Amino acid sequence: MINAKAQSWLRMLTFHVLLVVGSIVTVIPVVWVLMTSFKSNKEIRESALGLPARIRFENYVGAWTGAHFDRYFVNSVIVGVLTVAVVLIVGSLAAFAFARMRFAGNRAIFFLIFMGMTFPVTARIGPLLTFMYKLGLVDSRWALVFAYAAGSVPFSILMMRSFFRQFPEELEQAARIDGCSNLQFFLRVLLPLSTPALLTLGIFTFMGAWNEFMIALLLISKNALRTLPLGLMAFQSEFTTDFALSIAGINITAIPVILVYVIFQRSFIEGITAGALK
Amino acid sequence: MSVGTQERRSLAGLFAAFQRIGRRINIVPYLFILPAVIIYGLFNLGPVLASMVLSFFKWELLTPTSQFVGLKHYLYILRDKLFWNALSHNVLFLSMAVIVPVGVGLFLAVFMAEIGKGRTVYRSLLFLPAIFSGVVIAYVWKWIYHPFSGILNQLLGAVGLDFLTMSWLGNSRIALVSTFVAYAWASYGYSMVIFLAGLQSIDREIYDAAIVDGVNFFQKLFLITVPLLRDVFTFVITLRILTAMGVFSVIFILTGGGPYYATDVIGVYIYRMIGNYEMGWASAAATINAIIIVTMSVLFMRLREREL
Repeated sequence: MINAKAQSWLRMLTFHVLLVVGSIVTVIPVVWVLMTSFKSNKEIRESALGLPARIRFENYVGAWTGAHFDRYFVNSVIVGVLTVAVVLIVGSLAAFAFARMRFAGNRAIFFLIFMGMTFPVTARIGPLLTFMYKLGLVDSRWALVFAYAAGSVPFSILMMRSFFRQFPEELEQAARIDGCSNLQFFLRVLLPLSTPALLTLGIFTFMGAWNEFMIALLLISKNALRTLPLGLMAFQSEFTTDFALSIAGINITAIPVILVYVIFQRSFIEGITAGALK
Repeated sequence: MSVGTQERRSLAGLFAAFQRIGRRINIVPYLFILPAVIIYGLFNLGPVLASMVLSFFKWELLTPTSQFVGLKHYLYILRDKLFWNALSHNVLFLSMAVIVPVGVGLFLAVFMAEIGKGRTVYRSLLFLPAIFSGVVIAYVWKWIYHPFSGILNQLLGAVGLDFLTMSWLGNSRIALVSTFVAYAWASYGYSMVIFLAGLQSIDREIYDAAIVDGVNFFQKLFLITVPLLRDVFTFVITLRILTAMGVFSVIFILTGGGPYYATDVIGVYIYRMIGNYEMGWASAAATINAIIIVTMSVLFMRLREREL
């Protein structure tokens, strides 16, 4: 009996050790980048691994004034928020129909939309560019909003559909007896009950828009309209030899994401697993 | 009866039939899906289909012409050594991805399911890199790989392995693996989270029965857990098909496909063509790539479904 207990204790210890090692290896790059951002270039040259002599914010000040991170930040927020708004509205409306109504062609249409989850960005980028030029939307935030929203529509419908399906039929019947139309039932009953799912979808969509790179790279050329990934790239190619400044620039773009992650961690995880287990 | 009246009568019948269907069709559901269909159609499915059609036409960025060129673009792409070079790197990425993000993710998730307390702390830390943009990931690793002050060579030097220090991104034999490490770093936490959710939905009683029968850790993992996680595996691997075959930003920023195309992938290959306004070639290459990806993932999902 004691032997078995010792064995299971040893096993737990092994798991913990492996997980600690894995966590350390995973976090080292982030910690190193944070640490290095407080060093001077001289310190980095002399010892890339050592702790900073003191906490100095000169690199951040330099990066902030050397590039227009404030502007890029605002652009990313605008594009992200608008994308989320569009996706939440059109996605949940469509998901409602797919989840709770029967209509001709619903399976075929759903399949065509679902297919969109497997398209790589390159498959649509050429005509998308041409189309945006024709619409006069190149170098406009709306181009990014529409392109990102279109990319997120399949996932949003898939996720909200399975969420809407959980509600019992009786709920709808009760609402009908009270004289609710489809739209009223959707707006007044279903949506308020779906706030956790909408929050998850919103966070997930926001991060997708916030992090997207290829479409932005091809659709935005004006410095004033750059989102953070583009701004970071421009900044890095300008200060390619200034180690300390470049590292601070990375952190300026990464820290807001880390903060959002710390606050909304559950929504991140749920967004990912929602697609997997349905 | 003349042919004309018969025709007229059948037309009238058809019209009446349409009217009947029209009255029966409830347009409300279509109104609900309309906004999503418009946005998805105009900016996603539409461009994808347009890309396929336009790959058969002479095409400049602003002026898709009506000059049909048949398979010309496809023949060019299929004869281009650089296309096969790039595609082979995507396939290599994918095969490595099945081992690292998928395999490592599974083991991490299994360890986490076994331990009780402290799970959330490990999950937060291991998942952290997955939240970053590919651009941030690439720049973090660019500095990690920095030949002189990068942490990798510094660490190797500090533990006396100086002979292993090298130009991680400049050496054409190692550069692809170096870019893969950056991609994998941001991926295993992602797979792990999905596996963990799958593991938590497994009925513990199954395990309790197995423990009585005296199976060891690996038997339990491969004989019980893995078969029960079939659907989760399907999802995780499909996800890797999509990301490994579509990888762009990490490679574009770390190496730009170099040195000498040693890390070139389809995404970067197509981007270069668009940059040169070779839209016909770009759309042909994009179509081939999309067909490969969609076929792979749909086939894979279907295969798994049938096996069940």
